[in-house]
Amino acid sequence: MPANPAIKQVSEVCWEVPTSYKPGMNVPARIYANKKLLDNMDSGVIEQATNVACLPGIVRYSYAMADAHWGYGFPIGGVAAFDPEKGVISPGGVGFDVNCGMRLIRTNLHYSEVKPRIKELVDLIFNLVPAGVGVKGSQNFAQSQMGDITALGVRWCAENDLAWEDDPEHVEEGGFIKGADISKVSRQAITRGVSQFGTLGSGNHYLEIQVVDPARHFDRELAREFGIVHDDQVMVMIHCGSRGFGHQVCTDYLRTFESGMRKFEIVVRDRDLACLPFSSKEGQDYYSAMVCAANFAFVNRQIIVNKVREAFSRVFHRDAEALDMHLIYDVCHNVAKVETHTYGGKTSKVLVHRKGATRSFGPGHPDVPAPYRKVGQPVIIGGSMETGSYLLIGTQKAMEETFGSTAHGSGRTMSRTAAKRDFRGAELQKKMLDRGIYVKAATMDGLAEEAGLAYKDISEVVETMDRAGISKKVVALRPVGNIKG
Amino acid sequence: MPFRFLPDVALADIAFEAESDSVNGLFETCALAIEDIMVDPETLRNTSERTLSVESESLDRLLYDFMTELIVIKDVDSLLFGKVRADVSKDGTSLRAVLAGEPIDRERHRLRNDVKAVTMHLFGIKHEGGYWKTTVVLDI
Repeated sequence: MPANPAIKQVSEVCWEVPTSYKPGMNVPARIYANKKLLDNMDSGVIEQATNVACLPGIVRYSYAMADAHWGYGFPIGGVAAFDPEKGVISPGGVGFDVNCGMRLIRTNLHYSEVKPRIKELVDLIFNLVPAGVGVKGSQNFAQSQMGDITALGVRWCAENDLAWEDDPEHVEEGGFIKGADISKVSRQAITRGVSQFGTLGSGNHYLEIQVVDPARHFDRELAREFGIVHDDQVMVMIHCGSRGFGHQVCTDYLRTFESGMRKFEIVVRDRDLACLPFSSKEGQDYYSAMVCAANFAFVNRQIIVNKVREAFSRVFHRDAEALDMHLIYDVCHNVAKVETHTYGGKTSKVLVHRKGATRSFGPGHPDVPAPYRKVGQPVIIGGSMETGSYLLIGTQKAMEETFGSTAHGSGRTMSRTAAKRDFRGAELQKKMLDRGIYVKAATMDGLAEEAGLAYKDISEVVETMDRAGISKKVVALRPVGNIKG
Repeated sequence: MPFRFLPDVALADIAFEAESDSVNGLFETCALAIEDIMVDPETLRNTSERTLSVESESLDRLLYDFMTELIVIKDVDSLLFGKVRADVSKDGTSLRAVLAGEPIDRERHRLRNDVKAVTMHLFGIKHEGGYWKTTVVLDI
């Protein structure tokens, strides 16, 4: 994106687009990026962030994080908070894959123990966790159970021997968001979703065996709080969401919202910004259905974790408990939630949309689970499969500046079609193996599309968020085994 | 009945444009484009037949709903299709389609991307110079 004279620099890593940028902006837009990321950001981000700034009831700023890129209506990497009484809710501000998110599990294994068995381990997980086009999960539930599952999320799993006792508290919102109502979800969504629990999906979703990078172990004391106690400790990261269930919820409600906008006489700058008053029946119905999809995603990731624990146990001939395979945390990065925030000298409830953005609550916040409350909420930022990922921590500054939000990943710079044209899956697989990363992919085309060069440099993104102080680096994790959907 | 992918639209997803000299042809092209994104059609045997009826309030919506149905069938019944015959009503609000394909076979099929939703981005049918045209952006 060429330098835009309308953009004012707030700090080294924060830029503001004033309300004079385009008619109808209710608040300014703020972009978190260093100069290099800003210069390379696609121009759609500014247009979309300022379009979001025009929506009714938005408060403070429309935000774009350092990994922002063009999305449907809202930019991916976008955050926007709305007054629950006067403001709107927008499916485009959540995304199709409701509660796409990240989950990080630790082990007590050293890489030296895992390295000789990485192929066996990845191959077994690949067999236990279905990935790719039209896959079905191994966990069979009845459609009649969907109401309970999507109401109680990981709590339901714990009550049904599908989660460890301490798993729910290590998931955002304690394992389920309140307010689910399955009667607001279509039959089609339920039918699509019921057989997909425990599946990874495709696109940019992955399951990765990672190792703590000793050269980028930024805060050992904080890492210890999460059970990360030695260099080359082996971890598992999972990136996936609510599968066909969430996509169908979004598809269904985009239609409802498009016709509802005529009824409420809401005019938006882009059809993909379809929104309705949060307080309207349609707005509340979408929220209830979206919460079902978010809880579905928590359960999906839980079932996958169970399979990962099983695989480690089978390969290393020890119980998963003996391998200390506890959940460090599970974060949503596509969701809208009612949260309490303090801004402009008042404390009130707001509806925070995070689309490709992660909650980053700081120390002492009551919504941070008790084991982490004194240090802050773990923030999991996934990179491309070639570059590795990061564990960060939420901060008080995020509470003050961004409604407790930060970035979510590295963000694409190249389309799938272009990546497939420029890279070959088999070559990439071999190149990664030469670098010590064993990759198993559902399809070679899908692998080519996820080449590291198709993404922004995650280190630039993480450094920017760290420098902005809205999340702080704890440790970098480098991939050694990857399952690509 | 051609379709072509648009590499510069929707970085994280897949976009294509399609055209045909008939409405039925446009629907068939869009269906085959979606299936092509999910599986190499050369590896698919069209041994099972399925009929599909869709009703909607407009021609645009009918195409949107038809494509969504194909995604739902892939998820629910694990069926992919290599042949499509569509018969759209004169008023453009209903269609009957006959689809030929087979259940997903991970050993034999060269599978590609899992299409999860049809988006409304840039979507709409145009009738220009005797051709029916559309742009479709799919969520991947």
